[in-house]
Amino acid sequence: MTETAIHLDRVGKSFALDNGKQLTALSEIDLRIGKGEFVALLGPSGCGKSTVLRLAAALETPSAGRVTIDGKEPQALSRAHRLGVAFQDHALLPWLDIFANVALPFQVAGRKVDDARVKELIGLVGLAGFEKARPRQLSGGMRQRASIARALALQPDVLLLDEPFGALDAVTRRHMNLELQRIWSAQRITTLLVTHSVDEALFLADRVIVMSGRPGRIIRDISIPFERPRHPSVMRDKRFHELVDELTLALEPEGAAP
Amino acid sequence: MTLQSEAVHRLVLGAVGVGLFLAIWQVIGTYRLAGMTWPPLTDVLAFIADPSKQGLFVRAMLASFASVALGYVVGILSGVAAAMLGQVLPIMRPGLDRLVAVIHAVPLVALAPVFMVLANRDLTPPAISALGVFYMIYVATTSGLKAASHTHRDLFTALGSSPTSRFLRLELPAALPALVSGMKLAIPVAFIGTIVGEWFGASRGLGLLMVSAMQNFQIPLLWSAVLIVTTASLALFGLMSLFERLVYGRFQ
Repeated sequence: MTETAIHLDRVGKSFALDNGKQLTALSEIDLRIGKGEFVALLGPSGCGKSTVLRLAAALETPSAGRVTIDGKEPQALSRAHRLGVAFQDHALLPWLDIFANVALPFQVAGRKVDDARVKELIGLVGLAGFEKARPRQLSGGMRQRASIARALALQPDVLLLDEPFGALDAVTRRHMNLELQRIWSAQRITTLLVTHSVDEALFLADRVIVMSGRPGRIIRDISIPFERPRHPSVMRDKRFHELVDELTLALEPEGAAP
Repeated sequence: MTLQSEAVHRLVLGAVGVGLFLAIWQVIGTYRLAGMTWPPLTDVLAFIADPSKQGLFVRAMLASFASVALGYVVGILSGVAAAMLGQVLPIMRPGLDRLVAVIHAVPLVALAPVFMVLANRDLTPPAISALGVFYMIYVATTSGLKAASHTHRDLFTALGSSPTSRFLRLELPAALPALVSGMKLAIPVAFIGTIVGEWFGASRGLGLLMVSAMQNFQIPLLWSAVLIVTTASLALFGLMSLFERLVYGRFQ
């Protein structure tokens, strides 16, 4: 096993509800993500998989246990501008053009914008020629590409993707998966992807973690055997279909299986 | 195409409405349907255009419009500054909110005589304008500074943004549409403040002209002053609406 990058050590998270009750979103989550590993977190909606990602991004603090990235608090990573994130909502700033949006992490970090790097990233995600366009002028898929380019801008140590293609139609989504696979294979950044799509998780990840809900816990941890870079034909592989069936079954609510 | 024809449709309807309003004014005035104090529109326009009255109107307009501009600018700057203070120093926020609410609860008309005895009488109109505008802009800016979405805030946190960078790159630009809407709504407020201030005895201005014309039964003069103020206020309001549309297109 390689060096651990992200470590969730018996992490629990509960939220106080308006009616005074406690909602336990996560309990006893133990998860290690190795350096340069791509892990997909799969689960039904409301199982707390986004909360896991938010804990790693220092957007939430755990109620129990400890989250560390390279042995330090997640805040240390974001404060050092070493974290890249993309959400389901592209979160591009509507008043900036695509170039300025992708360059935003440089500015927030107080660094000089590396024009060549921004241009290269825009090319990498296939948006060359759209530098001066505003987010509203682009399609949903193009906006997501821009937000992924932005996440990569500072060559982060860790990439956190929270259903980045969740709002896209199936065709665009598959296309975006191919693109992300290509981009990722070139950079190999430690990545945590939250998704509810089995195909997406299998095609992109080195390891797939399946969660079940209320309270969220890990019920499956499967290594994905396919070689990289992966070709779309992988999705027609017999082994791929077996894994799809296995994971789909694991996602079924308990007791619902025949 | 449909959007364009819709805009044309609205423009035509608006023009018809204004035309009808002016025509009814003219008819009522011509046939004295509302008595001697309602002159026809053409009489009022002829009165304004009369070269011997030019000096009087220009002096009054300069005085009033200077008050409106001063009150508007001071109100906007202080309103934005107070809202930013509440944002940068959250501990100030509840106190500021309450203070502003109290200021707003005091009727501006009741404050005018107090200003008159306290300060320079010619500073009363811009002071009352500024107070009204201040309230409007404070409310618009504070709500605007909250307009940035949760995802945008999360993004800035994850990028390791400093509070200053977050304020300048996210909260401030996100607040601009609300601020500009506030600036549009503040235009008539600035005019009202100035005119009310002038009623209480400024030495110059359209408000003063209205009061003296009313007391001396100079009916065409009274209507002329009212028409000038109304037209100016509406024209600036219209301009700000255009600007507002521009800002919304860019920042939302």
